[in-house]
Amino acid sequence: MVQINLPKKSEIKKGYYYKDKTGSKNLRKVNIYRWDPATGDNPRIDTYEVDMDNCPSKVLDLLNKIKNEIDPSIAYRRSCAHGVCGSCAMNMDGKNGLACTKPHAEIKGEINIYPLPHLKVLKDLIGDLSTLYKQYESVQPWLKTTKKIDDSEHLQSKDDRSKLDGLYECIMCACCSTSCPSYWWNGDKYLGPAVLLQAYRWIIDSRDEDRKERLKKVADELKLYRCHTIMNCTNACPKGLNPAKAIAEIKKMLATS
Amino acid sequence: MSNNPLSPHIQIYNWHISSLVSISHRITGVINILALSLICFWIWILFLEDNSYQIVSNFLNSFFGKFFIIGFVWSYSFQILSEIRHWFWDLGYGFDLKTSKITGALVILGSITITIVLYSLRGLLL
Repeated sequence: MVQINLPKKSEIKKGYYYKDKTGSKNLRKVNIYRWDPATGDNPRIDTYEVDMDNCPSKVLDLLNKIKNEIDPSIAYRRSCAHGVCGSCAMNMDGKNGLACTKPHAEIKGEINIYPLPHLKVLKDLIGDLSTLYKQYESVQPWLKTTKKIDDSEHLQSKDDRSKLDGLYECIMCACCSTSCPSYWWNGDKYLGPAVLLQAYRWIIDSRDEDRKERLKKVADELKLYRCHTIMNCTNACPKGLNPAKAIAEIKKMLATS
Repeated sequence: MSNNPLSPHIQIYNWHISSLVSISHRITGVINILALSLICFWIWILFLEDNSYQIVSNFLNSFFGKFFIIGFVWSYSFQILSEIRHWFWDLGYGFDLKTSKITGALVILGSITITIVLYSLRGLLL
């Protein structure tokens, strides 16, 4: 269901202001979404003045600096810091992306950081992705074949292999799914761009023998056709992939099969 | 989990050309249905009463009437151009980020151009 306004308990209040203590002349204001499950208060926006002279280039560096030097209570996911693990996906400057690959110099004015949109917040910048993972499981993202090969790989031609380019690179960071208005309004039923791209990755794999079943399973008014080509997913993908095109390919396969 | 807040979504998310054209496509679709119903109603009442032509004509020449006509011409041209964009998408073309941005901008600019051209040519057309 479309619900534009946030629920009462989710409305954002003004939070604390952390004044700079370093005396630096090169300051930037960073506004960060905070919610502490221990208090039961509404979420708030805390503002930090950060000394940019001693801060490396990415938004994740900025967050680490705040956590290390200003406020250790702030919670966010991060791991590899090289755009491979997908942990630090969040909403920066009104657009989803990976904090570890997004340069803060690209953001004009104050830096606004929120969790991924339209998720249940677990703490601060950490959203609950369990629905998405369940949906991912539902497309059975593994090779289904009756061939028994024990001593070598399942081979495919170069041509067939190239069909997986632009799909296998997905790191399941959920930037695309949580940028999609259709997924916001129908996230419990619509599979969303991330999961549909994964579904397509297995549908198009020449080694997989379950294509028909996979297509049949995904051919659903809500699961698939809630995609209205808004293209927020492709705009958001930090790996430069194109979930909108993958979804269109599934629709095309269904229309022509 | 029921106590956990919902993270902000449409309140904070940036608009892109593609999302703007997408929502406008829906809105113009609704406008077109309403406007076409009004036009059908107009034709229908023409058959009912002698002076009904005058009533409708007066309305269409008023400020709101002109706003209605220009709005409808824009909404219809927007819908048609955007639909053409959707046809190409259905065939699997135009998903490239740059292409979709350009075609989205073309839909917006094109619909405004068509509106201006049709409205300034209305004397010739009628």
